[in-house]
Amino acid sequence: MAGVDLPSLSERDRTLFRRRHLGFVFQFFNLLPTLTVLENLLLPLELKGAVGEAEETRARSLLERVGLETRGDAFPDRLSGGEQQRIALARALVHEPDLILADEPTGNLDPETGGRVLDLLDGLVREGGRTLLAVTHSRELADRADRVLQLEHGLVHERVRV
Amino acid sequence: MKLLRRSSLRFLARHPGQIVLTVAGVALGVAVVVAIDLAIQSAREAFRVSTETVAGRATHQIEAGPGGLPDSVFTQVRVGLGIREAAPVVDGYASSAALPGRALRILGVDPFSEEPFRPYLAPGGGPELDVGVLLSRSGTVLLSRSTAEEAGVVAGDALDLVVGGDRLVVEVAGTLVPDGGLGQQGLRDLILTDVSTAQRLLDLGGRLSRIDLALNASDGSAADEEEILARIESLLPAGAILRTTGTRSEQMSGMLSAFDLNLTALSLLALVFGMFLIYNAMTFSVVQRRELLGALRAVGVTRREILRLVLGEALLTGALGSVLGLALGVLLGRGLVLLVTQTINDLYFVVSVESLSTPPVVLLKGLALGLGATFLAGIPALTEAVNAPPRASLTRSVVEDRARDLVPRAALLGLGLGVLGALALLIPSRSLLLSFGGLFAVLLGIALLTPLATMALVRLFRPILSRTVGILGTMAVRGVSTSLSRTAPAVAALVVAVAVTVGLGTMIASFRGTVVRWLDHTLQADIYVTGPSAMASRPGGTLSPGLVSRLTTAVPDLEGFSTYRGSTLATGDGDIRLVALDLHPRGEAAFAFLEGSAAEAFPLFRAGEGVLVSEPLAYRRGLSLGDPVELPGPDGPVVLRVAGVFSDYGSDQGVVMMARSAYDRLFDDPRITSLGLFLEPGVDPEETIAVLQSRLAEGEVVSIQSNRALRQGSLEVFDRTFAITGVLRGLAFVVAFIGVLSALMALQLERARELGVLRANGLTPGQVWTLVTTQTGVMGVAAGLLAVPAGIILAVVMIFVVNKRSFGWTLQLELGPSMVLQAVGMAVLGALLAGLYPAWRMSRTSPGLALRAE
Repeated sequence: MAGVDLPSLSERDRTLFRRRHLGFVFQFFNLLPTLTVLENLLLPLELKGAVGEAEETRARSLLERVGLETRGDAFPDRLSGGEQQRIALARALVHEPDLILADEPTGNLDPETGGRVLDLLDGLVREGGRTLLAVTHSRELADRADRVLQLEHGLVHERVRV
Repeated sequence: MKLLRRSSLRFLARHPGQIVLTVAGVALGVAVVVAIDLAIQSAREAFRVSTETVAGRATHQIEAGPGGLPDSVFTQVRVGLGIREAAPVVDGYASSAALPGRALRILGVDPFSEEPFRPYLAPGGGPELDVGVLLSRSGTVLLSRSTAEEAGVVAGDALDLVVGGDRLVVEVAGTLVPDGGLGQQGLRDLILTDVSTAQRLLDLGGRLSRIDLALNASDGSAADEEEILARIESLLPAGAILRTTGTRSEQMSGMLSAFDLNLTALSLLALVFGMFLIYNAMTFSVVQRRELLGALRAVGVTRREILRLVLGEALLTGALGSVLGLALGVLLGRGLVLLVTQTINDLYFVVSVESLSTPPVVLLKGLALGLGATFLAGIPALTEAVNAPPRASLTRSVVEDRARDLVPRAALLGLGLGVLGALALLIPSRSLLLSFGGLFAVLLGIALLTPLATMALVRLFRPILSRTVGILGTMAVRGVSTSLSRTAPAVAALVVAVAVTVGLGTMIASFRGTVVRWLDHTLQADIYVTGPSAMASRPGGTLSPGLVSRLTTAVPDLEGFSTYRGSTLATGDGDIRLVALDLHPRGEAAFAFLEGSAAEAFPLFRAGEGVLVSEPLAYRRGLSLGDPVELPGPDGPVVLRVAGVFSDYGSDQGVVMMARSAYDRLFDDPRITSLGLFLEPGVDPEETIAVLQSRLAEGEVVSIQSNRALRQGSLEVFDRTFAITGVLRGLAFVVAFIGVLSALMALQLERARELGVLRANGLTPGQVWTLVTTQTGVMGVAAGLLAVPAGIILAVVMIFVVNKRSFGWTLQLELGPSMVLQAVGMAVLGALLAGLYPAWRMSRTSPGLALRAE
């Protein structure tokens, strides 16, 4: 990926690669319960380097984008499922990764909230010109994808849009 | 990594219970180790300071045998050899009703010879000191100001003393004020007087206890010093010995080494239990955070950063616990020092501790032990944390599968360790380190075998419980084996804690039983008369010949009597306790021979051709039947053969028993320390004691005790010497109990979700109680059953290896059904008690809350 032979990297280098180039969205959000919402966003930035004013502004503007600018000081367990997943999206994007990996990003949300989260995810990824690789059962999500690979009876085949 | 640190600190702050448990584990373990260390160091330090105060700057000492050193030796050394830096000393112990229970040291000196040794005692040595008065008025003494205050006397007052059975009155001429060179500790319980008054008080007319010499004060070369030493040696009467001052205090201090090591090993056990607590709390905190750690790894936090994070947490709690442990240790040490000094006084030598000393090296050692223990106990948690894969889906069952895979390997390792430990114990060596190393290996082996044994026992319990308690019973039992990573360490800790408690209890009970039987046949006389003593385990003062004849003629129904004279002989390789015995034939039954027989030993003994040696001495010096024993006599070395080795639990240093007739021939010492009276059958000892008391002259203080009272008193001393072991045993159990409590709590709290689901499905709070307590009860029963063999192994090792190697005596193992009941009862009760809180908490938690994810 990005000209790097990933299997040849050491465990540490793979971690550093993840830190720089990848963002994750999980089905169960996996926000860090011991950090506030804003701090959860700042963590990937801090891992990439020191956090200054510019980084904090970026995190706050992303919070605004996901509509949670007033919840920056709250801890994740005070948020609803949809809110938590919106924070998770922001966290996956805040450090401007090349690729975002999403595992059932809407699997744990009701259809309405899921739809809103998808809009947000789709919008943010396309705006930033990034790649999103998502695994999902959701037809709605699959329909938004540029390319769909389907796993059926142990075989992968490409779904061709008509 | 500011945010990572913040996240970790917040985690700790959100789980105060875990922090409290880890900190408590470290603190309690460190506290017990530090307290014991401080108590023993303080006793040693007090002994060193008092030895230094009394020995002053002397480099060498000429020490006499039991009869003392003639005055003339001093004149010869000082005038004949021209050694100006020599001082005569008369030294002994007294007691006083004004200072009950304290052994007062009488130190008789010549103020004019004191300047090179104890400048504070030379004329003009202190602003308030008038030692001249000691010389000008006979019968006057000086006391330290604090001792005088405690006795309620001031200058000019009379002070009642009891020395060797006689009540004597001295006049307090003044008080000594501690200053830089003269510490409060060194002066405690010291009665300072001049040589002639001390000789009169101690009944040592014309004799000295020793002569202090300062030989390297001059700038002479080593060759000169050797020549001087040789010339002094040639002057010495036989029985006297010349040695450096260091040798003696080293030998005295060396007597404590086995005692010291035994207590230290016990205190380390508390630290081991503390480590279990740390292990548990830390693993719990990591397992709880697996998802969080996995998420961190996914975001790009490296293994090294995770390691640093968790290690930082461990070190923080370890440091906190260690510091707290040091403070707690000093507090605990204050209490323990009294028990330790009491035991040293009862068994070894007179020492009086004014305060707990806190040498920085002990505190640093405690700190290092605390941090080291935290780190060691944290290794499994650290490994777990570092290996958390960068995904957040690893479930509890994966951890449990891994734990179950480890069970056979742990058992194999445990078996190996056990065998290795057993081999170390079987090596015929006297090394105590090897013994304790072997013992710890065996204990660790047992702990590692516990998971396998627990699984086997649980399989046995399952059908029984499912039949009696139903589905809840099945669930409870299955919970033990499905949460092995939590339950196995808890059961192992409980097994070791109960095994140690029961094993030590069995050792003490066996020891006591052995001593009771020994006392039963050793105390053959009906009435014992002894002078007052500074040490509880042996008579110290002497009985005047007049008193002896008065008492032995006062009783018409007297069948006969034995006399006893105990003295300590200084030899090149340590002191030997020599007892001269004029033995009544009925007293022969007092000896239980381990080597030789009464029929062969007594004729040799009575003829003065052989001596009887006690088991500890024979063990220590490798003596066997027929071996020569060399004793320093006044007319040259006395060599006698061992006619028998008898069992004796009176002193771990050992004694040599010699017939009185031989003693009178070889040693110039007519004194008697105690008297055993044999009454005609049917005579009431209590009535006879009343008659004897009435024959005491005014001012005579002796203790006259019936066989029963002496036996009772001896057992009281025995119990006192084991008080410290009992306290340590209790402390170790408390630490272990907190460990088990924390493990069970972690187990139940982890199951909060599962229990929440059960509650939601209709399990009543009462049924939650049943479930939780059945499970902890099962663990308790398993631990109790496993603790029985473990406790027996421990008791056997303590009795036949550690005690033999530490003190040289053989004890008889006493095992009974009560031991089994005690072990099982203790484990079940411990487990049930530890399960109470989790059960209460779980039954009160609302199902909604328990189900809500963090």
